[in-house]
Amino acid sequence: MKAIEIKGLEKTFTSNFLLKKYKILKDINISIEKGEIYGFLGPNGAGKTTTIKCMLGLISFDSGESLIYGKDSKSIEGRKKIGFLPEHPYFYDYLTAKELLFFSGMLFSIPQKKVMNKTKYLLELVGLAGKEDLKLKKFSKGMIQRLGFAQTLINDPEIIILDEPFSGLDPIGRKELRDLIISLKKSGKTIFFSSHILQDMEMIVDTVGIILEGKTIKQGKLSDLISHSVQYYEVVFKGVDESLLKSNNIGFELKDNNCITKSKDFEKVNHIIEFIIMNHGKIISVTPFKMTLEDIFLKEING
Amino acid sequence: MKIRAIALNTFKEATRNKIYYLLIFFGIFFVLSSKLVTLLIIGDKVKVLKDLGLASINFFSVLIAIFTGIDLVYKEIERKTIYNILSKPISRSCFIIGKFFGLALTLFVALISMVVMFFLFMLLFSGELDVKILVYFILLYFELLIITSISLLFSSISTPILSSVFTISLYLIGHVIWTFNEFKDKIINPIIKVISYILYYTLPNLEKFNIKNSIVMNVDIDIGMILGSICYAIFYITALLTLTILIFNKREFQ
Amino acid sequence: MKSKLFIFIIVSFILAGLFQYDYDSHSNYFAEKNIFVTLPKGKTLEILSFGFKNFVADMIFIWSMQFYSNYNLKNRFEYIEDIYNIITDLNPRYRAPYYVGSWIMALELNNYKMAIRLLQKASKNLKDDWDFDFESGYYAYKYLKDYKLAEKYYRKAAEKPDAPSFVKRWQAHTIYMEDNLTYALKMWLEIKKNAKNKLEKNSAFNHLYQIKFEIDKKDLEEKIKLFEQKFRKKPVNLNELKRKGIINMIPKDFKGEDYIYDFKTGKIKAKKVFQWKKFY
Repeated sequence: MKAIEIKGLEKTFTSNFLLKKYKILKDINISIEKGEIYGFLGPNGAGKTTTIKCMLGLISFDSGESLIYGKDSKSIEGRKKIGFLPEHPYFYDYLTAKELLFFSGMLFSIPQKKVMNKTKYLLELVGLAGKEDLKLKKFSKGMIQRLGFAQTLINDPEIIILDEPFSGLDPIGRKELRDLIISLKKSGKTIFFSSHILQDMEMIVDTVGIILEGKTIKQGKLSDLISHSVQYYEVVFKGVDESLLKSNNIGFELKDNNCITKSKDFEKVNHIIEFIIMNHGKIISVTPFKMTLEDIFLKEING
Repeated sequence: MKIRAIALNTFKEATRNKIYYLLIFFGIFFVLSSKLVTLLIIGDKVKVLKDLGLASINFFSVLIAIFTGIDLVYKEIERKTIYNILSKPISRSCFIIGKFFGLALTLFVALISMVVMFFLFMLLFSGELDVKILVYFILLYFELLIITSISLLFSSISTPILSSVFTISLYLIGHVIWTFNEFKDKIINPIIKVISYILYYTLPNLEKFNIKNSIVMNVDIDIGMILGSICYAIFYITALLTLTILIFNKREFQ
Repeated sequence: MKSKLFIFIIVSFILAGLFQYDYDSHSNYFAEKNIFVTLPKGKTLEILSFGFKNFVADMIFIWSMQFYSNYNLKNRFEYIEDIYNIITDLNPRYRAPYYVGSWIMALELNNYKMAIRLLQKASKNLKDDWDFDFESGYYAYKYLKDYKLAEKYYRKAAEKPDAPSFVKRWQAHTIYMEDNLTYALKMWLEIKKNAKNKLEKNSAFNHLYQIKFEIDKKDLEEKIKLFEQKFRKKPVNLNELKRKGIINMIPKDFKGEDYIYDFKTGKIKAKKVFQWKKFY
């Protein structure tokens, strides 16, 4: 049974005064296996946050279904298995870190003693050790985000849903979060997160889902989507007469007084290099380009 | 357990509000300053002390009931703290009921402080302790619970300013609607009559909780009517909370 | 900079305050404003007080006492009956306004009929109180000199529970003042019979003495006139009346002593005279 399965999700918003209807989700399909890290990718306004909110019951959807291990994800049974971190977490700033975790624990009906033990462990895990009695209004944004993550894990959820977890984190924070997600995967959890920071995503996801204007346009294993072989080679050079290049059918671009030529064929590239050297040109760089997630993404977006 | 968590949290949040303490302070202040007013009175000074004390407590506790509940739900939605609650395995009804009990606790604390000051003051200045007045305070508490359910209802659906306008209007209507009791029977047009009857029974009827006059003038109180009023409050609050839950269930959080 | 601002604030307030003081010493708020023209009637005000009618009643009452004791105001009694009606409509069982209002109406305004109206309203709303009717009776007796009306009120008062014994005595006295002598006699005899102390007994005795005297005086002087008509001269003494068969018995005063007969005028006098009627 799939950990998360969303089929044909549709949602239309009505603007109250003008009765304008706006279909924000047209056809969302997500399929996540247990123990996977799933990256949810899309431009701003594509409907990523809306999809997540539909899953959690914060917004109702018009048609389709959203299941967690076969059960309705927005039901109380479903939500028991989820740990959720919203995009800009806000908490009650008059509580201390400890009190917030207690409160969250109570909402899961976890007995207080168990929560007490967990609190220390979780705060250490997210790098907030010793700050349990500090009031939240004294926390920095980064600290709030960490605490949010701790709160997400309070019920030891099987499925962790994160909405733009990397936004606003500094490079160290991003690394720590990546490591944390990977370690959570190792302990058997399923993680679903949305982001537009493709580099982070590329480093940790197993499966990718791309949405555009409310529709899932591509979903698949990252390894399948990216070819590991080189896409093309780029040669940057100068000092060769342009007419000479043209007459030899070597396509090129001009950039900053340099010429750039690209070719997929490794053999052809070698010929071009020989040609340049023979014609007393100077080779500045030879760079192999692999396809990245960004490339895939932009390709899909631009049709 | 979940309701308890939300209730205690609500209580903590409500008591953080400075207005809460200000209103309690004023309530007590007016009780104490009623002594000055009695210097101008010929005749029964104790009666005037009671009148002024009860009126002050009534006035300020109603303000607390209206304004403490008004922005509680609204703030949660505005500040998005509600995401952290509703994404957890708690039903929306639990949330609303938890909020209500948190407000009930807040009101209880406020009222008790004013009542204790009142009785101490009465003991000090008149030497007597009229325990019958407690009956009035019990009824007042139930009236406050109705008012706070109304403000909770509006808080879940609109902004604080509109909510206060609606809640205050319903409070005033609640104290005037008793005049319609005989009037509604005299209406001839059947459609208007039906509408009047419906309005009369669905709008809050709050004057029944106002036994200030009977208590101070030492008129006999009918225990049956007091219990009836309390039952009315319980059922009316249940209706309001259910309505709030119904509306809140449909609420979307974008 | 901060202290300059501070000083500026204080100076501004002081100047404003001085102007306020000046304004106050030149104006007379109450005289210029006719405040009550728009004050709604009792029932309306009750509805408008939204459950605070006791408080409103107290406030208006306190205000009224300050207002009516301000002798500098002209026409201050223009709405006094309305004001006290409003207060008592809001809180019908609150005694103080009835007392204070009726005293002002009677003793300051000298409008006894108005005072009695207020007192009667009190009597209606506070059915077991005797003193409102008693005061009504007193005003009717002393100022309106309407003894029949006074008797009505004294009777009402006497019927109330806990009415003190002197109420009945006042009732009896007004009956006497109305010249209903037989009924008065009956009442006083009853009072004398039920008298609980010496004061009551003596008071009853005195009244009975006077009443008997007046009854007897009227009767005897009639008989003397009859004698005069018959015999063309006044009788020498009361015995002559008896001898000539005009009367059967010579009445004695209540003490049991003889009346005094003045031969020249033909009038009867008693040894003791209580001049209530002359006084009042």
